[in-house]
Amino acid sequence: MQTKVEILRIFRNPYFVFWSLFMPIVFYFVFTNIFNTGMGDSWNSRFLMSVTCFSVMGTSILTLGIRLVEEKAHGWSNLMRTTPLSSSVYFSAKMVGQTMIHICSVAIIFVVGAVINGVNLSVWQWLTSALWILIGALPFLAIGTIIGAMNKVETAAGISNFFYMVLAFMGGLFMPIEVLPSIFKSIAKAIPSYHYGAGVWEITEGGTPSLLNIAVLAGYFLLFVVLSIYIRRKQEVVV
Amino acid sequence: MFMESIIATKHLTKRYKDLSAVNDVSFEVEKGELLAVLGKNGAGKSTTLLMLLGLVKPTSGNILILNKQPHERAVKERIGVMLQEVSVIDALSVKEVLLMFSSYYENPLRLEEVLEITGIPIEMLKKKAYKLSGGQKRRLNFALAIISNPQIIFLDEPTVGMDSTVRRKFWQAIQYLNDEGKTVIFTTHYLQEADDVAKRIMLFNQGKVIADGTPLQLKSHLSDGAISFKSDQVDISLLQTFSHVISAKITDQRIVLTTSSTDALLGELFEKKVVMRDIHLHRARLEDAFELLTVERGISE
Repeated sequence: MQTKVEILRIFRNPYFVFWSLFMPIVFYFVFTNIFNTGMGDSWNSRFLMSVTCFSVMGTSILTLGIRLVEEKAHGWSNLMRTTPLSSSVYFSAKMVGQTMIHICSVAIIFVVGAVINGVNLSVWQWLTSALWILIGALPFLAIGTIIGAMNKVETAAGISNFFYMVLAFMGGLFMPIEVLPSIFKSIAKAIPSYHYGAGVWEITEGGTPSLLNIAVLAGYFLLFVVLSIYIRRKQEVVV
Repeated sequence: MFMESIIATKHLTKRYKDLSAVNDVSFEVEKGELLAVLGKNGAGKSTTLLMLLGLVKPTSGNILILNKQPHERAVKERIGVMLQEVSVIDALSVKEVLLMFSSYYENPLRLEEVLEITGIPIEMLKKKAYKLSGGQKRRLNFALAIISNPQIIFLDEPTVGMDSTVRRKFWQAIQYLNDEGKTVIFTTHYLQEADDVAKRIMLFNQGKVIADGTPLQLKSHLSDGAISFKSDQVDISLLQTFSHVISAKITDQRIVLTTSSTDALLGELFEKKVVMRDIHLHRARLEDAFELLTVERGISE
């Protein structure tokens, strides 16, 4: 029930539909068709994965983070705490709901890619890509919960959008980092969004994500979770 | 008759850094009471309520609700809460919000019953919660507070933002619920409201309970009003000895006498031939009441 409600809420949020479904598809369409760079099929499928990552990352950071802040600012989370619904159920409903949404985003964008641009991958590749994108979203969900600890919706929206764009750009989700100056390359290698993308790019090229990708994402996940818990603890003491 | 104490606090204290919001408050509430927690903003009434709900942790002291800790699930099953400034969840219809809430409880009220008690019309069910007007939102919040079929209903400043008709209907509903045996606790800063509705009033000031009793008992303590006038030849200390004067002071060149009965005081003033010009009668205001009670405490201590 709680999960169903969470999903309903996200889908009825125009902000989500715009940023997480519409924008990536437009990006994808524009980048691959209008600026035809002549990089061919591999670029097509690679970029498809990039926009999917971009979309899922956005839902994780923006939708989750801003929603958490809104609930707090509107007194909603306080009211929930007076009900018998435990906060762990509430939280996991959010996470499950979030994942269901991700599955939908991934499916829609994949279908668009396959139909419009004829991206051709094996069933195995489609599935593992989707799986990688879903599981790799964990560190970004954790960022979402950190954003969610903020008190004002405006600040949270500003900061999360900024992080989101920087992560997307620096991580090479808009354009391959290979075409950028080398300084960007070294920055990219240090941030989670690059490894998020890199893992799935490997899959489309028939490889498997490297251990380094997995390790960096897992590391960031742990870091953000610890940070998020730390911030929440600290807030509780003040209140 | 044996009465069951369903809320009990002992030496409840909450400090925020240097500020002491609630200071050593002990009280009990029995089943079926209709209690107003009255006080100015910052008097500690909302903090006390939040502590009863387990939302704010007391610095010291303890609370028992239905003989359990406030944060226990068994307690949350049996309470209903209406908080200040809750705007209900986005993108869901009124009906969806109500159903979601009722799914949290073991024995919720039926939707029809909730609608009947709160006066939510069927047409409102389809509306998106965030599109509701202020008054409708308050009604939805009220509905969420009773949907659990609670034994205790907590309302934090429930009538803020309600117009007079909605307010009247709201208190009728509360009266009905109280008659059904539910315990109701609400905070307010309107003396009038507490007086009209409550069977018991607890008056908070500066984090302490400074008065606690039935409205009648309290009013015998409080001033009913004040009389002010100009006069060139009156001795304040003499006025203070009058039997109907509670306090006397000079403000803006006017002599202000607070009293438990303006009628009786007027009689006394005329009888003792006090020379007065430009006489004004003032209804009791909460501020006066506070002033009075704080003054009294100051003297007695």
